[in-house]
Amino acid sequence: MSNAAQEFLRRAVEKSGDETHRKIIRFNMDQYDAAFGRGHSRFADWDAARERCQQIKWDAVNHLDRYLVEFETRVKERGGHVFWAENSEEARKYVCDLAVARGVKKVVKSKSMVTEEVFLTPAMEKLGMEVFETDLGEYIVQLRQEPPYHIVTPAMHLNRGQIRDLFKEKLAGPDTEDPPELVAVARRTLRKAFFSAEMGISGANFLVADAGMVAITTNEGNGRLCTSIPKIHVVMTGIEKVVPRLQDLATLWPVLATSGTGQPITCYNTLIGGPRRDGEVDGPEEFHVVLVDNGRSELLADAEQREVLHCIRCGACLNACPVFRAVGGHTYGTIYPGPIGSVLTPHLRGLNEFQHLSFASSLCGGCTEVCPVKIDLHHHLLHNRRNAIGAGTHPGKERRGMRLFRWMMMDGGRFRVLGGLARTAIRLAHGIGLAGTALDPLRPWTRRRAPMPIPSTSFRSLWRKTNGLR
Amino acid sequence: MASAETGMPGADNPSRERILQRVRNGLKSPAHQPPPAPPRPVFAPVGDALERFQAECLANKTELILATDEVAAAAAIESVLDSLPSGEVFVQDSPQLRGVARSFIMPRTLRWSSEGRPSESSEATISGCELLVALTGSIVVSSACGGRGASIVAPCHIVVGRLEQLVPDLETALAQVRERGLGSKNSFVGLITGSSRTADIEKILVLGAHGPRRLVLVLQTGG
Amino acid sequence: MAARVSLFIPCFIDQLQPQVAVDVVRVLRRLGYEVDFPAEQTCCGQPAFNMGYWDEARPLAERFVRLFGSAECVVSPSGSCTTMVRTFYPQLLAGHALYDQAVGLGKRVFEFSEFLVRVAKKVDVGAEFPHKVTFHDACHALRELHLKDEPRELLRHVRGLELVEMPHSEECCGFGGGFAVKFDMISASMGEGKVMNIEASGAEVVTSVDGSCLMHIEGMLRRNQARARTMHLASILAQEAK
Repeated sequence: MSNAAQEFLRRAVEKSGDETHRKIIRFNMDQYDAAFGRGHSRFADWDAARERCQQIKWDAVNHLDRYLVEFETRVKERGGHVFWAENSEEARKYVCDLAVARGVKKVVKSKSMVTEEVFLTPAMEKLGMEVFETDLGEYIVQLRQEPPYHIVTPAMHLNRGQIRDLFKEKLAGPDTEDPPELVAVARRTLRKAFFSAEMGISGANFLVADAGMVAITTNEGNGRLCTSIPKIHVVMTGIEKVVPRLQDLATLWPVLATSGTGQPITCYNTLIGGPRRDGEVDGPEEFHVVLVDNGRSELLADAEQREVLHCIRCGACLNACPVFRAVGGHTYGTIYPGPIGSVLTPHLRGLNEFQHLSFASSLCGGCTEVCPVKIDLHHHLLHNRRNAIGAGTHPGKERRGMRLFRWMMMDGGRFRVLGGLARTAIRLAHGIGLAGTALDPLRPWTRRRAPMPIPSTSFRSLWRKTNGLR
Repeated sequence: MASAETGMPGADNPSRERILQRVRNGLKSPAHQPPPAPPRPVFAPVGDALERFQAECLANKTELILATDEVAAAAAIESVLDSLPSGEVFVQDSPQLRGVARSFIMPRTLRWSSEGRPSESSEATISGCELLVALTGSIVVSSACGGRGASIVAPCHIVVGRLEQLVPDLETALAQVRERGLGSKNSFVGLITGSSRTADIEKILVLGAHGPRRLVLVLQTGG
Repeated sequence: MAARVSLFIPCFIDQLQPQVAVDVVRVLRRLGYEVDFPAEQTCCGQPAFNMGYWDEARPLAERFVRLFGSAECVVSPSGSCTTMVRTFYPQLLAGHALYDQAVGLGKRVFEFSEFLVRVAKKVDVGAEFPHKVTFHDACHALRELHLKDEPRELLRHVRGLELVEMPHSEECCGFGGGFAVKFDMISASMGEGKVMNIEASGAEVVTSVDGSCLMHIEGMLRRNQARARTMHLASILAQEAK
């Protein structure tokens, strides 16, 4: 078992038994469900919307080279820079070198999962720069020095009292847990950062190929401030974020909002095509787009699972997932938690190390049901499992068990006899009081559940003895 | 990788070819394409655009003021300014807004967009807009509407729009953005829907996170 | 419409819940069907398949297809096993000589409530069960076989039965096959969530179309000293009206 798997199990045990945690997460998810219900009802045909989004992303990803080059060409035409980063190191190095060369001391960031994926902030902080997350949820977890709990609502595991205490400690905030007052504290602090930072870093929700523009979506407006005031704007994005046409956003924007938060549309949907043009009032002097591969081109080559790259990072699958609901976002230990994380992380960071996430699922299919771009998420978990077994990384004991199972099931008589023997042995053990104890043959089952009565006969025996139950 | 001569890190970017090559090779194996779906409308057609726009603005907390003509619009703008703490007001330097400013009764500290970007302490910004979208109660602005900061820096953003700018839905709005070359003429185009907000604290909606808490649209219906 | 059906009894029902299979037979015979049970059947292979051991599952799939190949109509009291045959055999046997047969068989294998409502076109099977009952939407039946209303229609026609909905009836109970053991802490947490929702419904009995779900739910109900008990849909339908 990999270290990551062991850590996962340890955290899962801890969180599964945590009643308070369960209450918080259920409360949040119920809120989301209600909001999504309202958002969903605004569509004349939600399935048509999903189908269209699926088609858009299929087109984008399956012609990725063409659209990326189109995007790059247009960005460069308008004075923007495009850098292609093969991996985390290259992505970090480009931004850090740029920041150093420009004398950047302070950085404001709007939400970007990719910047977390490449560990950009620690690298910049090591160089003595101050980096401020400006999305409120991200800012809160940054102050707490913990990872985001959820890709859309990073601080959903905290209550207002905890946030009050955090702000009191770190920001000399007031002794109030009134949410508008807490938001005002963050606004005041981060406003100073917006107006003094030399560099603004954002992610990209979409890279619009035919317009050569980066689409950035926020509710708070932090994305707008990050991309308006600092003199350098850097976009860090996965290569898969491309969409072919500006027109595609007419469907993607409302769908992203509905799946993400239940809103009809997010407050600020911004398109940035380059640095400030001559004659414009304001805007950054420099515009850089860092296109990050970091394993995505390998996933692309897997035709069976290529569609995983269609993900628009809405977070709906996290909200639908009963495993996420049971253990929460911190248990996964990955940048991307939940179903998408369980499917994607083995590809980006290694099957060996992260296959356990694909096994830690009941395969209920709730994720697939809600995915707005119709990724077959739960079936891809199965594919990852198959690939993991094929890679031969599982303990030999388990394979031998499966071979025994197969051998038993290849013959009706064999199954009948062995099944009967097993039941007899278990009934004997239970008969002497071992049911539910550490010595129960069914201990792996009864560790968490009350023991079940084991019948003395099987259906097939009954059928045979009674000549078909007559 | 930093190139001292050009001052641009990564001036040589060998990864570009490697990534593109991997992408091209990867795409050689075809992925199953979802069967083409017959186009079904995603949203019900917008009926009366103004009615829909009004309803959506109410829902997303855009304060919508209808004005019959320029004079009424100017008066509406001034009355909003009257409700704000006194302080600098940033205004997009356009002929219409110059006219509005001339009609102000009270003296005000105005900073015009031709002087530069809005200051950190602006109490309000006033700008025009490119389009209005009925389906979502949204406002489309661009850098031509007083710059990027005009619609985000101050706690109150007042937008001046005309009924002719109202389109039914996002499809139409984006088609117009494209046709009018708004994305090529401007480095920034923004769709704004309601006041800045966050629900990051216990999923409780709080208005006025980093952007304007008050978004006011003065919509001129005639004149 | 076939007057004869072949029984596909999941391995765990055969060994651990034989009464469920008996009840299926009773209901089918009450409706006038002739029922046969191919005695050589064992397992559809899902336990191995789900854990990623497709090479071990494949021979079982081949065996199953050969065994049931000539059956006109196969009925199974399990949404997950029916799903294995209909949805996953084509993947497992892609490129295999038996592929076409598997696809064809998938169209003739039915989950029990699916058979009753969609094939036999019967919603009233002459049952009586005067209790407050709630229905758990088993994941495979719900999301792969698209069964939502069918089991409920059957329950609504059971005399004296009061059908109540639980909150989050579609939320997974946490069984998930090998997951129930490999990640038993998460499975149990999910099960506790399901127990909470069952209790909230006020039902005396929770039913479903999947015995594996019910096995897990029963274990969680008893462990948490809850009031309700589990009963397979087939067992409720087998309670004959006087």
